[in-house]
Amino acid sequence: MPLSVVIADDSLLARKVMTKALPQDWDVDITYATNGREALQAYRAGKASVMFLDLTMPDMTGFQVLEAMQHEDLNSFVIVVSADVQPIARERVRSLGAMAFIAKPVTPEALLPVLKEHGLYV
Amino acid sequence: MSDPVGKALDCSLSELVVERVGLGIFVVDRDMNVQMWNRFMHEHSGLSAQQVIGRSLFDSFPDLPREWLTRKVKSVFLLGSFAFSSWEQRPYLFRFEHDRPITGGVDHMQQNCTFMPLTRGREVVAVCVTIADATDVSIVQREREEALAKLREYANHDGLTGITNRRYFEAQLRDEFARWQRQGGELSILLFDLDHFKKINDEFGHVAGDAVLRTTAQRVSAVIRPGNTFGRFGGEEFALLLPGTTIDEAMLVAEKVRLTIGAEPVQVDGVRVPVTASCGVAAARAQNDDYVSLVNDVDAALYTAKQTGRNRTHIATTKPSLAQIIPAARPAP
Amino acid sequence: MSEPFFTETQRDALQEISNLAMGMAATGLSELLDAFIELSVPRVRSVAIGEAAQALREMTGLDGAVTAVRQSFRSGIKGEALVICRSGEIADLAVLARGPGGESPHETMSEIELVFDIANVVAGACVSSILDQLGATPVFSPPGLIGGGMSLDEVFRPDALTWDMALLIEVNFSLEDQNFRVHLVMLMAQESIRIVRDALDTLLGET
Repeated sequence: MPLSVVIADDSLLARKVMTKALPQDWDVDITYATNGREALQAYRAGKASVMFLDLTMPDMTGFQVLEAMQHEDLNSFVIVVSADVQPIARERVRSLGAMAFIAKPVTPEALLPVLKEHGLYV
Repeated sequence: MSDPVGKALDCSLSELVVERVGLGIFVVDRDMNVQMWNRFMHEHSGLSAQQVIGRSLFDSFPDLPREWLTRKVKSVFLLGSFAFSSWEQRPYLFRFEHDRPITGGVDHMQQNCTFMPLTRGREVVAVCVTIADATDVSIVQREREEALAKLREYANHDGLTGITNRRYFEAQLRDEFARWQRQGGELSILLFDLDHFKKINDEFGHVAGDAVLRTTAQRVSAVIRPGNTFGRFGGEEFALLLPGTTIDEAMLVAEKVRLTIGAEPVQVDGVRVPVTASCGVAAARAQNDDYVSLVNDVDAALYTAKQTGRNRTHIATTKPSLAQIIPAARPAP
Repeated sequence: MSEPFFTETQRDALQEISNLAMGMAATGLSELLDAFIELSVPRVRSVAIGEAAQALREMTGLDGAVTAVRQSFRSGIKGEALVICRSGEIADLAVLARGPGGESPHETMSEIELVFDIANVVAGACVSSILDQLGATPVFSPPGLIGGGMSLDEVFRPDALTWDMALLIEVNFSLEDQNFRVHLVMLMAQESIRIVRDALDTLLGET
């Protein structure tokens, strides 16, 4: 059964790059969200076993999405994807419940070990 | 067994170019250890590649501006982009002699430096620094500026400082001296010269040197009587004409001027440049046949002030053995 | 209103590229200055050079005396990077950069040197990042001063700058609770704009 995945980013280019970074043979169902609100909707609709979340989005940032999900008993594996990799950003995101943090631009080489480490892809 | 021809052929052409080019080229790693050192650097520093490679650059050159240079190189490692240093902002990085004839008043090679990232993939593995000799450019620029200043001096004022120029000052002196010869009374003259001015130009650049001259002229103008002719006598030399002033009164003025100059460093672009001056004082007396002789007297007094330690005033006296020296150590009022 | 240089999709891609460039620059800058740097998401806008001064004014509210530094870059895509900031803020920046202990006179940087340094670092980091994502590795020339205490119109005088397009990228960065605004403008000519468009299309078409 395919894994439900949400890719949330307001940039078309970023969504494409993220999609391209996923392993070719990964059995997944992808839903795209172009802002925080859509990401939350997809999550509530049960479509986000795994979520790739951008931090800087209009109409609800990645931080706000994480906070909302925490209140709703976080039931998704969130991997934050962001350009700002300063330690403070990473810590904040961890404390909000994200499981991993990957720097943009995402490459297959960078993503694979993270997926494997958390048992999302074998 | 040495085989210079074979050796040369073994080296690639680009290696030969790097070795022989008229540009300083060296490479450092993250810890500022030298990885490469070309012939230009060897010849101008006196240290061979063998002596510097593998060691920290600062071990071989302890006089380099350590913090500034480390930060510059670090920025290239961190950001993967170029960094630069221009002779106009920082006259030189390495204290090399230039090989121009002794014109231009420049003691050391003026340098433009470029810091380039050497990358393998996306990672910066080393930084390549090039040292380009900008002495010619700097001399030409100075000459151009001096020529412009000379044109401006066609009038009676010094182009840079705005006070009277030497020609005009001497004309005034000649008139005053003639008047003194006819009518008697008192006539004194001060001559003061900024200490270690060449070093200021060397360390802080000519732009800073000019600013120092300008500011000094302004400061002195503010504390002297407007009626007295105040002029730029030479490169870093100023003169003040004091008609109707005794030598003792002139000495007080000299001290006031000297202390004014030395009180506050000059601010140039946020950098504080300390300045002091040596001063000579002389009064016209019977032995002076003409005004030139008076100038010689005050010049000799200035010379003595320099010789006895600088940042002080010296008064010319009739009897050479009774030179009166006023030490700089006296606290300001 | 002049014809847009980029399609909406291309503009979106350019915005994302600039975001990434700022993120990478922030990391590098914070390590360099050993301080926390917050770089805002850059606003990106492309305009014809004749409209640059006005557009920048609208985008940033910049008016009054500015200091502008220019730096050429080339490598396939070539152009000029301008770094513009309020002349009054430079003195503050200088105090900050110098630190509490102050350095020896031999090591102290003049304000001009500081402006050049900051311009070089910002332009270098951001332009390099942007061009790197577009597949080009730029080579930079040393920075030069356009002027201090000028107006924006004086910076973009048509006889002084002969480019066709200005890509305005507004970068806000805060350093240790102090806010500094530095504006990066990339100027390019028609041939380079074409190359940028192609590079963007390639990136977008990769999936």
